Amino acid sequence: MMDDQMDPILNIINISKDFVFHHQEGIRIKVLDDFSMRFFPGQATVLTGPSGSGKSTLLKMIYAGYQIPEGKILIRHKKEWVDMAKALPSLVYEIRQHTIGYVSQFLRVLPRVSALDTVIEPLIARRMETGKAEQKGRQILERLRIPENLWHLSATTFSGGEQQRINLARGFVAPYPLLLLDEPTASLDPANRKTVMDLIREAVQDGSCVIGIFHNRSDQKELADRVIDMSPNMTSQPSSQALEV
Amino acid sequence: MTYMPGEKPYPLLSVRNLSKFYGKTMGCHEISFELGKGEVIGIVGESGSGKSTLLKCIAGRLTTTNGSIFFNSSYGFIDLCRTDEMLLRKIIRSETGFVTQNSVEGLRMTVSAGGNIGERLMAGGMRHYGQIRKIARQWLETVEIDAKRMDDLPSTFSGGMQQRLQIAANLVTDPRIILMDEPTSGLDVSVQARLIDVLRKLVARLSLSMILVTHDLAVARLLSHRLYVMKDGRIVESGLSDQILDDPREPYTQLLVSSILKP
Repeated sequence: MMDDQMDPILNIINISKDFVFHHQEGIRIKVLDDFSMRFFPGQATVLTGPSGSGKSTLLKMIYAGYQIPEGKILIRHKKEWVDMAKALPSLVYEIRQHTIGYVSQFLRVLPRVSALDTVIEPLIARRMETGKAEQKGRQILERLRIPENLWHLSATTFSGGEQQRINLARGFVAPYPLLLLDEPTASLDPANRKTVMDLIREAVQDGSCVIGIFHNRSDQKELADRVIDMSPNMTSQPSSQALEV
Repeated sequence: MTYMPGEKPYPLLSVRNLSKFYGKTMGCHEISFELGKGEVIGIVGESGSGKSTLLKCIAGRLTTTNGSIFFNSSYGFIDLCRTDEMLLRKIIRSETGFVTQNSVEGLRMTVSAGGNIGERLMAGGMRHYGQIRKIARQWLETVEIDAKRMDDLPSTFSGGMQQRLQIAANLVTDPRIILMDEPTSGLDVSVQARLIDVLRKLVARLSLSMILVTHDLAVARLLSHRLYVMKDGRIVESGLSDQILDDPREPYTQLLVSSILKP
């Protein structure tokens, strides 16, 4: 376990989130209620709980892909604390480029953009020289068993599993101090599942803080330094602390 | 992103309380926003929401009824609404680019493709013919038009090629700000994909500062850092592009986002 002497990379303080659906009779769904938690470098945290318990919402809020109406999400970016709820857009983009990596559940595929270019985009954004970036891209594509004859094709025509591996390759091609993974092992065959687990473990060993959603019990056991149950009855406790198992 | 008058560094553009009325009809009302250098913002909303009116005011193509448009020009941080006509024309011509939905409006159809690009360079004072042709050729290649077509008239080009030529002609003089009004509308999907891809690469490579007016939310997401949603001449919601599209709060934005058909 992490001791309190260590500096967290992420400090979530009293965030709440509800969604109001104005065109569906104004239904209001409260997904997170006064949630607080700290996350540390070199730590793997697994989020569990039934669908709708706010796991993906939490990841998206950390990434500022969802608005953060209440509370603070403090992230250590280049040795400074930044509140994602208040950061200027340009800073959010910089943080996404260097500090927070996020692998969504589904790849947003673009026509006419090759799989290799999709994968190396985070490196190019960091101004890495193209040749070097492509070399890294090829390595990770190879590791994730994407056949070489697909590298120069757009991922639009790829199968769901292939698209997810492109998405993962893109997420792991550059190191991030904080890595958010939304069901990274869903739709993978056993060999690729193992590779992804290895990649995650290596990232953690290199000091990344990984927060992931895994439904598979053995994935959870294999990876987690801690498991956070996001079930409503767990997170709505007055202590505002999710249960650590 | 609030900017106090006089505060430095200046943003590239600061629009303050801008209103445009056509007689008694409102075009856009009390619009305020800022654009930083290297930033792309998308303005989305349905037809008649005032987004094109707003863009045309910024481009100096419409006179505003009220408000200010501060632009960080090479002549200083000045209000385009209160600049004398001659200086305004100079700034608009050499420091802004405007890509319209209708390429017939944005191109000179009786001048060759290379001429459309070269014209801007000549207006900027370049005289060396060989140099102008060389730059024109490079730009045609950048926007994926065969350089062999350089001496052809744009009227012989397809719609997608015309749009790409318009973009090249606008970018060749390296303007401080690019304004685009529905650049992908009216094109076939496959043609659109190519145009969007060219635009995406240019935005990344040149760190363009751009205002993109579009009703296509997928294009808006792909190209813009931030989005402003307009309805009935006003801004109803704004924020990071993914926040607006994945987590819309306002009823109108929710309607807009949920109305898209996913193939």
